[in-house]
Amino acid sequence: MNIIEIKELSHMFSNGTLALDNIDLSVKQGEFIVIAGPNGSGKTTLLRHLNGLLFPTGGIVLVDGVSVSEDPVRARRIVGMVFQDSDTQIIGETVCEDVAFGPENLCLDRKEIEQRISDVLRITGLTCLADAKPHLLSGGEKRRLAIAGVLAMKPEVLAFDEPFSNLDHPGTKQVLKQIIELHKRGRTIIITTHDLEKVIAHANRLIIMTDGKIARAGSPEQIISDTEMFGIKEPYFSRMGLGMISWLS
Amino acid sequence: MAELTSFSYRPGISLIHKIDARFKLLFIVIIGLSSLEASPSGVLLLFLFVVYGLARIGISLWQVARDLSFFIFFLAFVFAIRAFSAGGAVFINIFGMSLTYDGLIEGSLVCLRIVLMILLGLLFTSTTRTAEVKAAIDWILRPLPFISGGRVSTMTGLMMRFIPVILEQARETASAQKARSIENRKNPIYRMVKFSVPLIERIFYNAGRISMAMEARCYSDIRTGQKLSSKINDWISLLVIISICIISVLYL
Ligand SMILES: Nc1ncnc2c1ncn2[C@@H]1O[C@H](COP(=O)(O)OP(=O)(O)O)[C@@H](O)[C@H]1O
Ligand SMILES: [Mg+2]
Repeated sequence: MNIIEIKELSHMFSNGTLALDNIDLSVKQGEFIVIAGPNGSGKTTLLRHLNGLLFPTGGIVLVDGVSVSEDPVRARRIVGMVFQDSDTQIIGETVCEDVAFGPENLCLDRKEIEQRISDVLRITGLTCLADAKPHLLSGGEKRRLAIAGVLAMKPEVLAFDEPFSNLDHPGTKQVLKQIIELHKRGRTIIITTHDLEKVIAHANRLIIMTDGKIARAGSPEQIISDTEMFGIKEPYFSRMGLGMISWLS
Repeated sequence: MAELTSFSYRPGISLIHKIDARFKLLFIVIIGLSSLEASPSGVLLLFLFVVYGLARIGISLWQVARDLSFFIFFLAFVFAIRAFSAGGAVFINIFGMSLTYDGLIEGSLVCLRIVLMILLGLLFTSTTRTAEVKAAIDWILRPLPFISGGRVSTMTGLMMRFIPVILEQARETASAQKARSIENRKNPIYRMVKFSVPLIERIFYNAGRISMAMEARCYSDIRTGQKLSSKINDWISLLVIISICIISVLYL
């Protein structure tokens, strides 16, 4: 069953920029998809359509069979989104409160909320920081907090917009491990990036975007050698003919 | 964002943190009203009481003074107006205006009251979670018809979320401009325009991103609120504060 179905999606911003041009894409439950493309190719705009932060100006986006434009709140429950900039995604005054924000919006009762907080803090390794102020966390911790805040809403699909930007080496490793772990637990994962090296070894499918269009789509092994044509750096292991090597190994 | 200004919540487990937010709001009203009625020594007592509270939760007064340094001009202005406009025995004559003893006391008193209210606000915001403030406002407005407590408390919550963002933004803009020697420009209007236009642009940009993030997590008026419950400690604190206010108004 396709959890996400995008048909002939176009988006034109009010200033006339055509950011998405006739996109067709379907995502199966449990897939791990990487969307790669240079800056300005429309990756962020595409992700924002998945949970109704932007609406199509042409075409349609279906999440779990229902149009996002018709029921954005439902789409937001199913698709959790981790933004590129963690600072603006953090809303609570403490780590704990920030994680509670989403479940409170879902009107869950206090006990359930407390349970979810302690679960996701454990999963993301933030338990000992529960009462810390989010603004004082390190870059990697902030990103994990942003992930925790989304996980607490138990979304089926997790969309990450450039999850490794502005992270140092240990931060990147922790976040990557987290994402792989979530995929193992059955979540559908969609990641945008312009830096394939870190995550491509774990993906089922690679999609290359340029100028608001899908330029290539298919299994990573098949199309990874085409990436340089579209302004994305081909990972060294692929250039060397070494196959796919996890960035964690 | 680095450490925000003094006016933000500091997690803690002090007595003041634990007091019910509704009581804290009531305390602010009681102390505020008493400071209007109290004599100078009474206001001083209230002032010292609040300073003690700040010291208890570990806020450095030095830090507060630095954060509020821009405010000193305003206080000086208020002080001057009061000091020169009161009647009574003349202390000194400056440019034909007479500074009086009464004026000096009057001016200091007004400034002390203003600072007292600021410190009360600081004490409140640093010990009360936004969620509790929202719940308290919701509770207070509940008996009033025609006003949706949920809506108003949501607005309050948003405001408390955005104020630190605006302050931080202002600080960043100011330092970015200092780094490029804006201080060499002496024209205050030029500087004001160059400061406020990018600042407002950035505030809107960031506010847009934050509200998008909130929307992505299903934010609305209807959500699980914070439970408020008054405990014996709240009532004891109320008694203590009422006694101090009575002393400062009637006996000092
Ligand atoms: N709010 C907006 N208004 C107008 N144009 C926009 C807006 N957001 C993005 N764009 C434009 O849409 C295009 C795609 O942007 P984006 O989706 O952010 O790309 P990416 O995430 O791949 O870097 C770019 O040309 C960008 O300038
Ligand atoms: Mg982007």
